[in-house]
Amino acid sequence: MRTALLFVGRLLARWEVLLVIAIVGVGIWSATLSPFFFVRANLLDLLTPYAFIGLMAFGLAFVVIAGEIDISVASILAVSVVCFSQFYDAGLNVWLALVAGLAVATGLGCINGVLVGIFDLPSLAITLGTLAAYQGLAYVILPGEGVAAFPESVTKFGGGYVHIELPIALLVLISFAVVLGFVLHATRFGRYLYTIGSNREAARFAGIPVARVRVTVFALSGFMAGIAGVVYVGYFGSARADAGQGSLLDVVTAVVLGGVDIFGGSGSMLGVFLALVLVAELRNGMQLANIAGDTQNIVIGVLLLTAIVLGNLTRAIQARGLPSIPRRKGVIGNATASAGLAIEPETEVKGR
Amino acid sequence: MNGARRLNAESLAAAAFRLRELGVLVALGVAVLFFAIRATNFLTIDNWQDIAKDVAIVVVVGIGETMVILTRNIDLSVASIVGLSAFVTADTLAAHNDAPLVLVALLAMGVGTVLGLVNGLLVTVGRVPAIIATLATLAIYRGLAFQVTNGEAISAFRLPDNFLNIAASKPLGLPTLAWIALGVAFVGAAILRWAPWARDFFAIGSNPDAARVAGIHTGRRVVIAFVMCGALSGLGGFMWASRYPTVDAVSATDFELDVITAVVIGGVNVFGGSGSVLGVVLGAVLVATIQNGFTLLHLSEFWKLFFNGFAIVVAVAINALVTHRLQDALRRRRRAQVLATRHMEAEA
Repeated sequence: MRTALLFVGRLLARWEVLLVIAIVGVGIWSATLSPFFFVRANLLDLLTPYAFIGLMAFGLAFVVIAGEIDISVASILAVSVVCFSQFYDAGLNVWLALVAGLAVATGLGCINGVLVGIFDLPSLAITLGTLAAYQGLAYVILPGEGVAAFPESVTKFGGGYVHIELPIALLVLISFAVVLGFVLHATRFGRYLYTIGSNREAARFAGIPVARVRVTVFALSGFMAGIAGVVYVGYFGSARADAGQGSLLDVVTAVVLGGVDIFGGSGSMLGVFLALVLVAELRNGMQLANIAGDTQNIVIGVLLLTAIVLGNLTRAIQARGLPSIPRRKGVIGNATASAGLAIEPETEVKGR
Repeated sequence: MNGARRLNAESLAAAAFRLRELGVLVALGVAVLFFAIRATNFLTIDNWQDIAKDVAIVVVVGIGETMVILTRNIDLSVASIVGLSAFVTADTLAAHNDAPLVLVALLAMGVGTVLGLVNGLLVTVGRVPAIIATLATLAIYRGLAFQVTNGEAISAFRLPDNFLNIAASKPLGLPTLAWIALGVAFVGAAILRWAPWARDFFAIGSNPDAARVAGIHTGRRVVIAFVMCGALSGLGGFMWASRYPTVDAVSATDFELDVITAVVIGGVNVFGGSGSVLGVVLGAVLVATIQNGFTLLHLSEFWKLFFNGFAIVVAVAINALVTHRLQDALRRRRRAQVLATRHMEAEA
């Protein structure tokens, strides 16, 4: 009996399980709002408008696990989308234009990476700067009206369907989640990220090529913003310089709500994916309930804050001692650890 | 001997800071020279009065932001606080045309204080990292502005003349807005120089753990920094409402980038622990001058955004370089000192 309770307790303490419970709860709430919510087509389509946010969140998750932050992702998306449209407009083959757009995104990510990884500058301030710089660049490249009328072979990645009901954007999202999840949890590169995020000095002494990994991680984040741009163009059918503006809150929420430690060193791809589902479902539900976009932002912002504060509270309570449940490194943030409240030594480096 | 060395180290640090402000001054001189040659109307009194108005709001909010950054935190929500308090100001004055302006200013600062307090409590009691906390409140406060405004915009013709005069009148040739900013700058500089609780900001930013061990109530001080930043953003909102003719829910969007650019260019270390009001003022003047020059050269609005971001990156890089060099120099001195002591001991 006691072991059973312990098991249930430990299961509940897992962040992913809490997210699933929240997803079910919001689903039930949405179902009461509209009879059309629990229809297969709607459920399958739920993530389509948020696929580009998820793709950016996957890239950002890598950066955050490595102990840094990249708030310029939405601006990179804008530049990449604008470049893609300009290359295409200039008569380049659409696939070449797409690759060029991705290359630009990766290059911008590389700039972030070199400034942070090689020159050792603070990623928060640097990406705040490049957030503005890249956004300005996007407007300079394509001022005024956007570009539309892309061939269907490209827009299907954001707006197309297989067998009428299954959105291709969902397939893109899931494939990237699986591939990036594999990279994060099953490759040496992925383990490096956790080690660097936990203790950069120790990682250096352990012979990990810290600078190279940090540059790579920012380049990856830029590349994912480029991929997100492709899906974005497909979904909205047009490319404009203000593409992706205002999506930063959702991207960061997906990452942090997904259980990625904002100070680095822990987090899982599954968690980020589930958090994305929760955010998408919540926004969808609020639309059903006729709540305006800016009011939705209040809810998402409060959700983000509540998740962190609750995580910290749970950890503080656990630190005071509930002996039956083994204490683990917290779900979000290791603020208590830095505040000297964590008593046990951190012996393991892990991704949940 | 020992004392002299320590004095030396201190004067070295002081020299480095002066150098940083000097650097901004030189950049300002170059910018003025460049635009004076390239842009007509740049060196006119009218134009400089315009620049002074732009600088004023950035300085007021920037001093608040400086206090937060000094404690190794950041407040991204300032623009939303400015927008919300600007609307509250305009709304109050449109409804009560004869309301005393000081009371309205206090009301705007009150709004800012409450919002800043929420930020501070989230960071200290809730232990949410400042970047995440204020990114969330940036969206939340903006959402609140939409709730409060209800889609309404308040135009200047509904506002009383004595309020609009704050931006329009120019006693002694300087816009009233700039006089307000000057007052805030002097008080802010005095506080950061002499008030014990404000000196704690520097200690916390230099080394939070050491500050705690030294008996500083770090949590309380960080809350105060956020509250000051909120209150000054509220005052900035009051000034914003008089400066710009129409106030609505999206007023001052992205204004935080102007503020943070000015603060970082002014030499405030993004890792906390160092920075000065004089630097912030110079940084704000430099940013406003360059943006004004861009306008006169008919460059797109968007080059300004690009320039803002570029300037942040360059300023952060230069700050890091200076700090690095300074630390190196201090370390070398200390090593030499230790070696000398050892040598003396060995001889004895």
